[in-house]
Amino acid sequence: MIDTVAAVGSAPRRRLGEASLLAAAGWAFIIFITTYMLIPVLVTAVMSFNSAAMVRFPLSGFSLRWYAGFLASPLWMDALWNSIVVALGTTVVSASAGILAAWAFSRYDLPFKNLLYLLIMMPLFLPGVVLGLGLAITFGGVQIAGVPLYGSRFLVVLGHSLWAMPLVFLLMEATFRTVDKRIVEASGDLGAGPVRTFFEIVLPMVSTGVFSSMLFALVISLNEFMMALFLTNRDTQTLPVLMWLSLRSAGTPNLAVAAVVLAVTVFASLTLIALWHIRSLRRA
Amino acid sequence: MSLAAIPSRETNAASEGRRSAALLERFTPLMLLTPALAIAVVFFGLPALTMLRMSFNLHVDQRLFVPGLTFDHYGEIVSNPLFRGAVWTTIRLALIASLVTVMLGYCFAMLTWLKPRRWRLYLMGLALAPMLVSEISIIFGWWMFFPKNGLLSYALVSTGIVHEKISLMYTEFAALVGLTYLSLPFCFFILLSVFDGIDRRLLESSADLGAGPFTAFREILLPLTRGGVLAAFSQCFIWTMGTYATPTALGPDALWTMGLLVQEQMLSKHNWPLASAFAMLLVAIIAMVMFVARSLSTRRIDYHD
Amino acid sequence: MIADVSGHRPALHLENVRRRYGGIVAVRSLNLSLAQGEFLTFLGPSGSGKTTTLRMIGGFEQPDAGSIWIKGERVDHLPPHRRDIATIFQAGALFPHKTVAENIAYGLRMRGLQKPEITARVREVLAVVRLSGFEERYPNQLSGGQKQRVALARSMAVRPAILLFDEPLSALDLSLRLQLRSEIKRLHEEHGFSAIYVTHDQSEAMALSSRIVIMNRGGIEQVDTPLGISRAPASEFVYNFIGESCCMPLVASGGEVRDRQGGAIDLKLHTPPREGEWRLYLRPSRIKMAAAAEACENSLEVQVGFVEFLGESYRYHLRAGALEFFCDNPAPHMPRSEIA
Repeated sequence: MIDTVAAVGSAPRRRLGEASLLAAAGWAFIIFITTYMLIPVLVTAVMSFNSAAMVRFPLSGFSLRWYAGFLASPLWMDALWNSIVVALGTTVVSASAGILAAWAFSRYDLPFKNLLYLLIMMPLFLPGVVLGLGLAITFGGVQIAGVPLYGSRFLVVLGHSLWAMPLVFLLMEATFRTVDKRIVEASGDLGAGPVRTFFEIVLPMVSTGVFSSMLFALVISLNEFMMALFLTNRDTQTLPVLMWLSLRSAGTPNLAVAAVVLAVTVFASLTLIALWHIRSLRRA
Repeated sequence: MSLAAIPSRETNAASEGRRSAALLERFTPLMLLTPALAIAVVFFGLPALTMLRMSFNLHVDQRLFVPGLTFDHYGEIVSNPLFRGAVWTTIRLALIASLVTVMLGYCFAMLTWLKPRRWRLYLMGLALAPMLVSEISIIFGWWMFFPKNGLLSYALVSTGIVHEKISLMYTEFAALVGLTYLSLPFCFFILLSVFDGIDRRLLESSADLGAGPFTAFREILLPLTRGGVLAAFSQCFIWTMGTYATPTALGPDALWTMGLLVQEQMLSKHNWPLASAFAMLLVAIIAMVMFVARSLSTRRIDYHD
Repeated sequence: MIADVSGHRPALHLENVRRRYGGIVAVRSLNLSLAQGEFLTFLGPSGSGKTTTLRMIGGFEQPDAGSIWIKGERVDHLPPHRRDIATIFQAGALFPHKTVAENIAYGLRMRGLQKPEITARVREVLAVVRLSGFEERYPNQLSGGQKQRVALARSMAVRPAILLFDEPLSALDLSLRLQLRSEIKRLHEEHGFSAIYVTHDQSEAMALSSRIVIMNRGGIEQVDTPLGISRAPASEFVYNFIGESCCMPLVASGGEVRDRQGGAIDLKLHTPPREGEWRLYLRPSRIKMAAAAEACENSLEVQVGFVEFLGESYRYHLRAGALEFFCDNPAPHMPRSEIA
């Protein structure tokens, strides 16, 4: 009896100690994770403005000369251009294919639905090395109208689409499921055919989803390097491929600039989506 | 309801029209699926089969491959200690990295879930960083952090914690730090979505009933998030298995992974059959991990229901 | 082509229309005609096949067998956009990213009307549903009732052969429902459109319809005017479904009436029942309570169990032998009574 009373009496005090300990641990974790997540990003950003020719600490001074060098270098600028072309191609291919397939899945009863789903989704779970290797050995000697497929940007676009399309598909399938079926029926009811309905009623209703999935595709393609490494040559190599190759030979401040340029491209795209989202919120 | 004339047969043209409309309706989903299926079949299915077939081809010096049927390449992976070691290294790295990632990701996601709303955006943005930045940029970031003249060494020396410059570059530790960094967001977002599905009042009621925070964690949170942990772990494992740039660039030279071997056999040694055999093995291991994770998580649900 | 005696083609004609889902028959062999300007209501419990029938008329589902004719043209297997119909959906189903005017103009554009004509029609039809001045609003700036009136306007604007109503009032609260019900009635009287209306609410059906089709388990139980349905229910199901009723299972033999347990019931009927088992149905509101002494054509001696006050009337729970039922009386009554 006495034991019980004593236990009850001490419990709140012990709990208080536990709680403050936990709170402290929580703060420590937040500081740790913040540092961990920001180290590589910040180090790179800072280094791109360093004036020294060597990548080393301590820093020597502020300079934009590496940016000037990057912009003046045809090698790096070509790689950036390749990256942008491939990323835009991937966006168009994966978004159109993925959105149409997602619409088919959410609107119609399909035979072998699970099998089709697996076929579309599977590449997302496979590493870039495997997908890149497969594409390289399959299309290594293939030519279309005298132009070799291997080493072309076209093949890289399709390779990147193997990751981007399932993602678009996944996102859009979930989005299409939120569309009120009766609104789609109402459009047909008022005399619009399926194509008209899709473009004039369905797509505008899911515009935010379309836009974000397109940006996902863009970001994936901009950052991907494994498949690009397998599938490009010196003329078509993308920015991450060139970064990887020069990192293997010798790290230079140019690399830091390239990393910042790549990140800025990604963040600029994300800002776009944020603006789009705000605009659509205001209109609704 | 008096009907003077009900035609028993409609005109041919009308029935023709009805049939073609029905046919069009039937083929609409197929037409919608065509682009996606074409991409999946031509650029994924076909290469997958080609790779499988290629892994049984012969390899003769100076030639990419010679058609044939041999299990030599699979045999070589098993018999060659260098290759066997690479398979083991890949699995070991993936296991350790996934374990660390899941633990970090679990704490990270739980904290995000418990913290007030205004923290959420900040923490989620933090977790998003590795996803938005290219793997190569991140490797480069760590590449400037770990070596003798890197930030870590500089910071430790200038604060007086150590006296000599130190280098953690080209160690397995550096490779693991890089791998964990890159797989953390997958893990975080999977687990956060699981936590978001839990009613936070469960914790309050558990505290009401006299359970301390650790008891509440063990008795309530852990069982409710087990499926999520499993999913996060398998996702991290699959991802770290397949990546090769990070361990290659940050780890020691002797740290051979399967991804590296695929790349090397393909691009430097031009041994397509062996590269394909490695790729198929990688796919097999990934498929197995997915299958095990899936069957484990469904069994758990069966047990609860 | 299909025509009635006077030479007018019916707005809608269904012939042996059938639909099943897997092994479940949703609609069994339906035959029906809708005259021009008629307001026909499908009334029935959920799962009775009324919504499936409407969706087949609208083209959202295909019948397994049979044919559907709109104004003499065969339309089954035509997709919705090739049919001369317009549906008013449950929650309006307005296009959320289009303004009220754009919503209404949509169907007109699909029919290839010219811009000035579209503008004129939008203005006209908005005036009809009393929403002039709402042209530039978006659907989420409208109340539930306004949304439904825009939906009505959107459908009426295209001047279809038939307007289809798919439980349009079920998402609204009671007062709004009554208000909009009168609105639909007014519009039908003024504009004389042909309409098919689906509901499970019998007061809606009674108030709006020229004729009511009572459906049950995929088949038609009765087709009649509202008055006919309530006066002369064609089947036991209709009797149960429409209004409140009391059921008395009885056995008649040798001029005597007993309950199913064999207890004698003091029931006197103007036309005595034939021999056999019967279920006698009574409307609680049409049972009159009277003192035992009063002479009546039909009477039953009962005991009063307990009384509920319903606000407008009193509900007497009665017992006669093993029979239990109730009747509604506008005023309180003395205990021991007989019923007429």
